[in-house]
Amino acid sequence: MGLLAEKDRRYLQDLFSKELQNEVKLLFFYDENCEYCDLESQLLDEVKELSNKIIVEKYHKNSEKGAEYKVEYAPALILTLNDGKDRGVRFYGIPSGHEFGTLIQDIVTFGKGAKPQLSDDTIKKLQSLDRPVKISVFVTPTCPYCPRAALTAHNMALASDMVSAEVIEANEFYDLSEEFGVSSVPHIAINRNPDRYFIGAYPEPQFLQQVLELSK
Amino acid sequence: MNVFEIGGSGADIKDYYDIVIVGGGPAGLTAAIYARRAGLSALVIEKAIEGGAVTQTHVVENWPGEISIEGQALAQKFADHARHFGAEIHYAFAQKAYVEGDYKVVELDDGRKVKGRVLIIATGTEPRKLGVPGEAEFRGRGVTYCAACDGYLFKDKDVVVVGGGDSACDESHFLAKIVKSITMVQNLPYLTAAKVLQERVLNNPKIRVITNHVVKEIRGTNKVDEVVIVNNDTNEEQVIKAEGVFIYVGLAPKTEIFRGFVQMNEYGYILTDENMETNVPGVYAVGDIRVKNLRQIVTAAADGAIAVEHAAKKYF
Repeated sequence: MGLLAEKDRRYLQDLFSKELQNEVKLLFFYDENCEYCDLESQLLDEVKELSNKIIVEKYHKNSEKGAEYKVEYAPALILTLNDGKDRGVRFYGIPSGHEFGTLIQDIVTFGKGAKPQLSDDTIKKLQSLDRPVKISVFVTPTCPYCPRAALTAHNMALASDMVSAEVIEANEFYDLSEEFGVSSVPHIAINRNPDRYFIGAYPEPQFLQQVLELSK
Repeated sequence: MNVFEIGGSGADIKDYYDIVIVGGGPAGLTAAIYARRAGLSALVIEKAIEGGAVTQTHVVENWPGEISIEGQALAQKFADHARHFGAEIHYAFAQKAYVEGDYKVVELDDGRKVKGRVLIIATGTEPRKLGVPGEAEFRGRGVTYCAACDGYLFKDKDVVVVGGGDSACDESHFLAKIVKSITMVQNLPYLTAAKVLQERVLNNPKIRVITNHVVKEIRGTNKVDEVVIVNNDTNEEQVIKAEGVFIYVGLAPKTEIFRGFVQMNEYGYILTDENMETNVPGVYAVGDIRVKNLRQIVTAAADGAIAVEHAAKKYF
């Protein structure tokens, strides 16, 4: 039996056929010491079946591709267009529960040319950034507020080459979560600095303000 | 909940809807269902996931027809129901609302603006803060308000749950499956939850209930280490070692953006007439956000229905 329910499968087929205008490439990275790699691999096989515009490529974390995309953990999932350019949108840990919805939204955004779904004002401010900013959004699959934070971060990555955004499943990367003192999600750390963080799903302008302040 | 929730669609929104609803909980989604069935276009603006506070509820056992259902599953049913009849759901934060001639305008954080003939406010409540030293300092460092979100981050740890109402008891029951031990601290001499929920807590060997005590302070270094509680009668202090503090001490209305727009009581709950209409014609408030006696899924849904039935006759 598949991971996705039949009714969800039909809904997604319909959604993708309406919304996806170009190909979307999902780069999946695995390794051997990984609890959820097999499950995510299976999930991506099912997602790929939903639209001929979705391409899935699978690599070992320690492969050349893994090095090229600077993959640190497995499972990792990087979204790109057909050109394979890393636009700074990735997941560490399986996008399950509410985070599966985040992946779906990401696929739709990439399927329309990977244009950031943000206000003009936010995009303008992000494009004037003169320093690299890495946004790490710690999430759990059961957190209803997390997809909004995750999507905002991913879209910010699309707005500027200076910004990259990783969504990290906190339960799956427990040690990393401990290191960053994560006890309430969404927990958003900036530039991988455990002391530079904010908590909660913020409206876009306030989210941006936090990111800009904390990355100074 | 489903292992893989598909979430909302990426469809774009239009500039105008007959009924614009802010908040996608039981009240807002019921309003959307009634609007569509009355032949009106309806947009629901939701800042997180449709279903509202229900998505954070472990199990619901007082929605007629469902003897026991996970909150997330019920929330999904509400949303599916609204979508089935053609309601649209857009994910964004409402930032501002005002009247423009015959229309109500809502500005969103993604830079969009949407107009409605009728506006329904269904923004609900958020967890009330305890207001003790250490609470804000250790927010996200052990202090949390969402067991569904953060429970698993406290696997095999000792935690304190503050409160003794329905939420505190239900969530303690849920957390007991994950954490090592729970100490519930309740300010009154008794629990106030429904009897069935109280019994679950009192019969659980992992849960210790301390009544008639208030939390004085949450202490720690980089994260929560302990909670100081005080006996109401003797003033005697007690220190409980804990790495997590889950706070369930009631609700606070999420009405900030509507301040000065519609009439509210001193606590920020919106005043309505029996048709759910506020002092601003064509602006309604439904569900937990409204001044009312009983805040439940079933009363929220009822509000949504009443508001739309009235609006459909008066404004269309």
